[in-house]
Amino acid sequence: MDAARPLDQSQPLHRPPAGFWLWRSSGTSNGTSDGTRPGYSLLIPKRAVIINSLLILLLLIVVTLSLGSGSVSLSPAEVWQALWHQGPAINQLVVNELRLQRVLAGLTTGAAFALSGCLMQTLSRNRLATPGIIGIDNSATAFAVASVTGTGLSLAPSSMALAGAATACALAFGLTGASGRGGYRFIVAGIGIGAIAGAMTQFMLSRVAIDDANAAFPWTVGSLNARSPEATAALAACLPLALALSLRMTRALQLMQVSDAVSIGLGINLKQVRRNGLILSVLLTGLAVAVAGPVGLVALLGPEVARGLYRHKGVPLVASALCGALIMLAADLTGRLILAPLEIPVGIVTAVVGSPYLLWMLLNPSFKNTP
Amino acid sequence: MTSGQAPRHHWPLRQVFPATALVLLLVCLASLMLGAGDLSPQAALQALFGQSSDEANFIVRELRLPRTLIGFLVGAMLGCAGALMQTLARNPLAEPGLLGVSAGSSFAVTLALMLGASAATLTVHVAQLGALAGCLLVLSAARIQGVGNDPVRLVLAGATLTGLLLSLIWLLLMFDQRSADEIRFWITGSVAGRSLDMALQLMPSLGLAFILTLIIIRPLASLALGERAAQGLGHHPGRIRFIAVVIVALLVGSATAVAGPIIFVGLVVPFIARALAGPDIRRTLWLCLTLGPIIVISADTLSRLLVAPAELPLGVLTALIGAPVLLMVVRSRRLPTL
Repeated sequence: MDAARPLDQSQPLHRPPAGFWLWRSSGTSNGTSDGTRPGYSLLIPKRAVIINSLLILLLLIVVTLSLGSGSVSLSPAEVWQALWHQGPAINQLVVNELRLQRVLAGLTTGAAFALSGCLMQTLSRNRLATPGIIGIDNSATAFAVASVTGTGLSLAPSSMALAGAATACALAFGLTGASGRGGYRFIVAGIGIGAIAGAMTQFMLSRVAIDDANAAFPWTVGSLNARSPEATAALAACLPLALALSLRMTRALQLMQVSDAVSIGLGINLKQVRRNGLILSVLLTGLAVAVAGPVGLVALLGPEVARGLYRHKGVPLVASALCGALIMLAADLTGRLILAPLEIPVGIVTAVVGSPYLLWMLLNPSFKNTP
Repeated sequence: MTSGQAPRHHWPLRQVFPATALVLLLVCLASLMLGAGDLSPQAALQALFGQSSDEANFIVRELRLPRTLIGFLVGAMLGCAGALMQTLARNPLAEPGLLGVSAGSSFAVTLALMLGASAATLTVHVAQLGALAGCLLVLSAARIQGVGNDPVRLVLAGATLTGLLLSLIWLLLMFDQRSADEIRFWITGSVAGRSLDMALQLMPSLGLAFILTLIIIRPLASLALGERAAQGLGHHPGRIRFIAVVIVALLVGSATAVAGPIIFVGLVVPFIARALAGPDIRRTLWLCLTLGPIIVISADTLSRLLVAPAELPLGVLTALIGAPVLLMVVRSRRLPTL
């Protein structure tokens, strides 16, 4: 059981808010059944506005760069012209038909991974409990590969990946018998599940013809190259919805960071929040894996960067999603450019960059695992 | 195992060891007699003594016998390496595969292949060097305050290291399609199709590891009582640790060079050995010598039978056996420390 935070750390919650009221309505006591209607308010902190606009600006720059670079190099001005269907036809073709799909896939998967990571870290109160580390990515990959290599199942990879993600999550929770509070134990269970799933993936790949294995390989390490349009569309449709739903939970998530007792006292249905958050997280991970394969470290790095930018204790959902998209696109761009014409899968780039950071986190003696 | 538990009954070694040896004999026979080939067990048994058709003789003596022998060696090496490493790190989850030692030697082998070495000559020593580097890295990490006291954090760090090294391996392979084809099947781990020459190459390192183990086994057992106690008994903990690391590297490097990275054997075998014979490394090591081959050879036999006529990679099967044991260790009410 966790102890409540010392009071001085929860002080900022009670200071007059520094931000913009997006919507504020006071409670009234009209003739509803219980006599009162609670007041609603939506406060946007000032710092969040500044950080998020900066991140969006950065994201636009990276998107432009990503759309402009490749075997045909385009200047930013040309890219924007082409995006609005102006300029030479060849530029329009390159940007709109060839590169835009990939950039959109990168944006959505990055955002989905990071958002799901942020949700899971907050719910389990453990910075290390991201979907990638607890084996959800690997399971989703194994299930999706099973559907691709056609072991008698003809479901679309998206739904199979979802099924895999849900299975892994259920297993990890079932085996540790806790609602995400098992801490490290939960994570090691996830490592075990991930190992089994990884072994199954390798087994399935070793049984198919060598050409199929080669084709499936980038996807099993995470790449934006092998995305399927249906999977991308499914993710793009679910992402805004998931973001909106998780933003609705922000208040509850923030209170859960203080302590369970406080949250319950303030009328938060912990079980419901945990369940919903977990469902959202698994959904996002499954859909994102169906598009880009297991690029799990984005789910760790995105929220870490966002939290670093926020400084104070909060649950930076939007900033995490933006950072995740940024990291994903930047990694993809690096992988495409650094060894051109060879293309390094984005999963390898994030692993080479992100693993040392994770190692440093783990080996740092003063490491604290609560977010 | 832990001070808080009620004393558990352990069997004396002179009863357990012969029993496991008997099981090992049966498993070896099963491995020789069963397989995808169109050969009845009786015919296989006759072929073993050279009294059967040429085809049967070939299958049993040229295909199955080397495979079983290599499985025996690999199992014994990985089992002992796991037991040593767990004693060293005082951590029941410290397994060479999980902690990135196998990945270290895979990385070294890949690097050597990339730099133009031929697969046949260099690999054993290169793999041992890689394993030594991985071992030193992980164990120095384990000595950082806070990490060493937390078994699971060390495992997570090892998993991360493994992931990093695997990514680097794939990165290297992208430059070189030839090595990629050579390595793709090696990297899942298998004892199939290895020649006995390979086993002979290992003998010097195995002999060295055996002698070194005999030298440090008593000091190592005293180290389990704590650094102070070991010093008080006149041993040098630093020196003992270093020798033990060298032994682990020799064993894991050899096993990886022959069979590819096979994870979880080093976790399962000492786990069972401790359950049978108690925590004393002097007893568990003996059991690892029989239990390791039992696990690897039976996994290999199963891998041939489950999806016959195709084969499951051995690494897949050991992961399927080992991951539940990992979960079991983690699920136990509180993580036992060694």
